[in-house]
Amino acid sequence: MTTSAIRRFAALLAAAALPAAAALAQASIEGSVRLPKPLHAPVMNKRYGIVAYAGVLSPYPPLAVVYLEGLFPPPAGPKAAQMVQKDLAFVPYLLPVRVGTRVEFPNLDNTYHNIFSYSPAKRFDLGRYRSDERPIPSVVFDAVGLVTLRCDIHEHMRALILVLDTPHFVLSDAEGRYRLDGLPAGHYVLKAWLDSKTTLERPVDLAAASALREDFP
Amino acid sequence: MTLPQEPGNEGVASFRTKLLVAMMLVVTAVTAAGFVFAQRSAASAVRLEFQGEFQEMLAASHAVQDVRHAALAERCRALARRPRIHAALEDGAPDLLYPSARDEMADVMEQAREPAAYSLHALYYRFIDSRGRVITPPGPGEAGALAPEDEARLALGSLPDSPQTGFLVRGGGEVDELVAMPIASTESGEVISAIVVGFKAPWTGGGGAAIRSGAWLNGRLAFPSLGESERQVFSGALERAVAAPGAVEGGLQLSAGGAEYLLFYKLLNPGSVFPPAFEVSVYPLGDLLARQRRLLWQFGGAGALLLLGAFFASRLLSHRLSEPVEKLAEDSEENRAHWHRAEAALEMTSRELQRSARFSADASHQLKTPVTVIRSGLEELLAGDHLQPEAREEVSGLVHQTFRLASIIEDLLLLSRMDAGRLQIQFSRLDLGPLLAGLLDDLSAFPDNFGLKVDADIAPELWITGEKRFVSLILQNLLENARKYNRLGGRIRIASRGEGEWAVVTVGNSGSPIPPSSQEHIFERFHRGAVGENVPGHGIGLNLARELGRLHGGSLRLSVSDGDWTEFELRLRLAAGAVAAKPA
Repeated sequence: MTTSAIRRFAALLAAAALPAAAALAQASIEGSVRLPKPLHAPVMNKRYGIVAYAGVLSPYPPLAVVYLEGLFPPPAGPKAAQMVQKDLAFVPYLLPVRVGTRVEFPNLDNTYHNIFSYSPAKRFDLGRYRSDERPIPSVVFDAVGLVTLRCDIHEHMRALILVLDTPHFVLSDAEGRYRLDGLPAGHYVLKAWLDSKTTLERPVDLAAASALREDFP
Repeated sequence: MTLPQEPGNEGVASFRTKLLVAMMLVVTAVTAAGFVFAQRSAASAVRLEFQGEFQEMLAASHAVQDVRHAALAERCRALARRPRIHAALEDGAPDLLYPSARDEMADVMEQAREPAAYSLHALYYRFIDSRGRVITPPGPGEAGALAPEDEARLALGSLPDSPQTGFLVRGGGEVDELVAMPIASTESGEVISAIVVGFKAPWTGGGGAAIRSGAWLNGRLAFPSLGESERQVFSGALERAVAAPGAVEGGLQLSAGGAEYLLFYKLLNPGSVFPPAFEVSVYPLGDLLARQRRLLWQFGGAGALLLLGAFFASRLLSHRLSEPVEKLAEDSEENRAHWHRAEAALEMTSRELQRSARFSADASHQLKTPVTVIRSGLEELLAGDHLQPEAREEVSGLVHQTFRLASIIEDLLLLSRMDAGRLQIQFSRLDLGPLLAGLLDDLSAFPDNFGLKVDADIAPELWITGEKRFVSLILQNLLENARKYNRLGGRIRIASRGEGEWAVVTVGNSGSPIPPSSQEHIFERFHRGAVGENVPGHGIGLNLARELGRLHGGSLRLSVSDGDWTEFELRLRLAAGAVAAKPA
């Protein structure tokens, strides 16, 4: 997986999440998140997207999800997202979605995969399927929380889906830089998710058509 | 003779007994030594065998545990790889942990048909969370039944990073062996959980094997197959033994309830997160002692048989060996009898000899006096004037006879003194020349010479050692014989010479020779040859001459007797310094 691919997906999703009122005077936030150094763990395989250490699941290489928390109108229609299984790995390995989003899991490998999750936010088991499975197996994530995805066949495959109750979220780049656009004015909490145990936050007041800069920490 | 005084049958019998006793002593000593050696080596062999048995049994038990550990470790590694287990542990779904593990652990869990002892299958298993607490299974039969209070005691202080062994004494008294295997994260190797598996403890089956095992745990002896008195004794001993710092393993010999036991204890889980647990193995020594006793009896019996056999063999052998000695004793008995007989005969002969010598001496002495009386009477008669001339001649002849009689008596006396060994020769230097000349003068003075011609070839000086009267007696006898046994007009020849260390005197005479049959008897006493009664003599002259010659260290022999000539040769030893006598 490349950083550009992640960014492309993120941009796509952000665009889709934006309401039609794009014409309104919209604010934006940009900045950077200082990503934790992967100090720990002799990670044996670079393909691991998610590693667990001391009970903490973190993306590897490190990424951050920055999102704006507040009260937002419900989504106009069903949202969709995709997480593919390619080269025995989830792409992307960290996927933020809004509650109610249906995520499709196409299998692009010519082998079986069996995606399942034991996470309290969403438990499911898609069973084994191959790339020709139609319709593409999908899951609607209807509760906020962190969902760990695994493949029952390939023990190293792991991915995280962060289900958020907001339309305004973005994935940082590998250096931790982010930009949120099209934000409505108001009083919010800006959060930066780093791993399953670490979410940084700070309150923000967005004036119409303002451009804030917020760096974590 | 140095034979024992009374060898007899008792001597041989005692010899035989001594031999038997000596042999038996040797055999007994050898048997005893062999017995001790064999018994000792056999006893140690039994002990070794016993120890081998013991260790084999322990090894079998440990092998089961090792297999169990290996199987379990493999199972846990596989389990730790399972994404669902990781999901359950890491993704906050403990309720899904046991259902996810069920399939994995199905073949580890005990099956109903499994035989009880040395079970490889588990009774129950429980997961331990990252803080060491037990994760309770959702359903009661989910992971093997275990009472809640027992389950709580499976908790570990912290997660172990290596397999751990421990024991659990359940509320009901059952003893379970526990094996805790860590479950590590696939990516980092971090231990995220552990699984504790409970097995039936290997000894709970009882089994009937000689070794019984149990555990010493938390200051208690968990040993189901033990009686109360044994339990008390063993508990006390173990408490003391285990209290010692660094006690890891050891052996004790204990007696409980009248029986001897060998007790081994071994710390099963050094450095374990579980409380220290000692495996306790008890072997009743009664069996070993019985085996050793039986062995002792067998050896004793064999030894007795051996001794008995040795006794008979020794008896036989001692008889066989004493046979020659017995024979020797018999032979010596015969010898002794012979010896006694010979001694008696010798004694008798010597007594007879003495008696006859004494008789000769007595007779000679008794005879000498009357002969002297007769001669003086006859000489008185001759001195008177009243005898007729014829009668005077008669009486003169009688006087002559008394001289002969006196000479015979003198000879007999001399012989008897020699026989009795009482004749002492007074040796002195003596010249044979004058002596022989004197004797020749005497010979020619004889009245009744038969016209004899006397030749003499005498060395003028021939010194010998001897006593003069005996030497002249020898020569007189020889000369007188030469005259007596001569023929009319015959010849006498006397010669003397020195020859080496000898003085040799030969006296020869003409006349009929001594017949060969008589030649060897002429020197015997009272032998007179085949001569007529008209020849005077009494048959002791030659005998006397030879005996006297021998007493002088010389010899007398008949050198010639054939045709018309008979000659005697006398050898006497020359005096010292006279050896180089001039040849005649």
